[in-house]
Amino acid sequence: MKRYLSLYLYFVRFSFSKSLEFRMDFTFRILMDTIYYFVNIMFFKVIYLHTPLLAGWNEDQMMVFVAGYLMVDAINMTLFSTNMWYLPFLINKGDLDYYLIRPVSPLFFISLREFSVNSFINFLMTAAFFIYTILQLEGPLQFWNVMLYSALLFNGAILHVTIQMIMILPVFWTQSSRGFVDLFYSMGLAMERPHRIYRGWLRIIFSTILPFALIASYPAKIFLEGLEGKDILITALVTGSFWLLLSLVWKKGLENYSSASS
Amino acid sequence: MKWWTSIISQEIKKILSYRSDFWVTFVGQTAIQLVIARALWSSVFESQGVVSMQGFNLETMTLYYLIAPVGTRILLGESFGFISREIYDGTFTKYLLYPLSFVQYKTLTYLTNSLFYVLQLFIIVMLYRMFFMKAAFEPTMFLNLMAGMALFFIGAVVYLSLGMAVELISLWADNVWSLMVMLRFFTAFLGGGFIPMSFYPEWARRIMYLTPFPYLVSTPIRTIMGDVSGAEVMKCILVMGVWWVIFRVSVHFIWRSGQKRYTGVGQ
Repeated sequence: MKRYLSLYLYFVRFSFSKSLEFRMDFTFRILMDTIYYFVNIMFFKVIYLHTPLLAGWNEDQMMVFVAGYLMVDAINMTLFSTNMWYLPFLINKGDLDYYLIRPVSPLFFISLREFSVNSFINFLMTAAFFIYTILQLEGPLQFWNVMLYSALLFNGAILHVTIQMIMILPVFWTQSSRGFVDLFYSMGLAMERPHRIYRGWLRIIFSTILPFALIASYPAKIFLEGLEGKDILITALVTGSFWLLLSLVWKKGLENYSSASS
Repeated sequence: MKWWTSIISQEIKKILSYRSDFWVTFVGQTAIQLVIARALWSSVFESQGVVSMQGFNLETMTLYYLIAPVGTRILLGESFGFISREIYDGTFTKYLLYPLSFVQYKTLTYLTNSLFYVLQLFIIVMLYRMFFMKAAFEPTMFLNLMAGMALFFIGAVVYLSLGMAVELISLWADNVWSLMVMLRFFTAFLGGGFIPMSFYPEWARRIMYLTPFPYLVSTPIRTIMGDVSGAEVMKCILVMGVWWVIFRVSVHFIWRSGQKRYTGVGQ
């Protein structure tokens, strides 16, 4: 554990010096994510011009949910996104070899090697927005409730990257350059909508098979409406199952890996 | 075979080289966006207890959200970095040796991709009209669809010039893909790709129509849906023409002052 922690600190240190080398790109990326946040906030603001309630939440409550998924996005962009971008290329070009022979978990190495410093600044912005939206809510604030919400959002970020990797890993078989990652990005839209808009089988799908609703919407529900054992149980079970599925796909993928063109 | 036909056929081969990915992504993206948009707007209509809002009922709203993402893909043509990536890694050099300009080459490859998505749009709209709206085949509907597709394609030509102007900034900066992502956000948000223009306040709409984006996204969608008059279509073409000239002139000047900075490093 200690070895992994110190290795990760090296990753972060390298990423800092690399990021600051390309200052214009660094600034553009911060600006890009800021615009993404602005567009997402405005999307709901425009909808609330036409309705006082959406999926049972008023505008202030919806903003808490929006802040939640923006924070999940920022965590993902900071910790995993760049690594996920390179993953299909590592597999296709045979560069994965270099990670398989190292005396550390290849999954740890390939998914955490790059720390995105610019996105970390965006993460701080979303955290500030998160605090602001929570303070806008009526009624007393409970510290433990905020902590639980933050923990569930972090779990959401882990679940997000797990699904993403499961969608990327088919490149072991298809040898394409992207896997089904474009499809994943489209599905990611499901995370950005409150789960109550989905009815019947659709809600079941988005809570289990494609669990995007568990990433930010369920945590927001638990925060805004109170803790229900059932929600926590579903979140824990699905996250665990997806971890198992990821290790299975990874293992099967490695069996199929031909190290072509390395 | 003429040079341009061989470029187009090469590009088509490239698009279809990973068929399983291509079709899974195409069908999956369309289905998922449709389902989410329908769920969202059903919820909005229900919470207000109405069947229509700002001229949209659930069926037409669903159609709108079916067309919007494919339309955006038509505009985007090739993916981000279609020039900047090659400038960055030095492979851009090959265009300087080709017997045609890089602008001609990139225009052909870009528009081949756009044309491919135009065909996808045709299939999607026809299927939706037939199976979900149970609409009888009418010549007007077909004409609207053709006019909308043409507007999207013209929009792709305009967007290509705008994209080129942004991509060429990579002659000065190391990486500009984030600028292209920003451009995509602006296009979808200011063009009515996220929410139909009629849902924005009047003052915001007035500002948005000062940009090219509503003409690139909203007007073609509304044309397909049959909500736009012939005069509006003509106005859209005219406005896009003016923007195209502005962007082309910008590309000309950016390229003229930036080409001396190209080093071809990496090759």
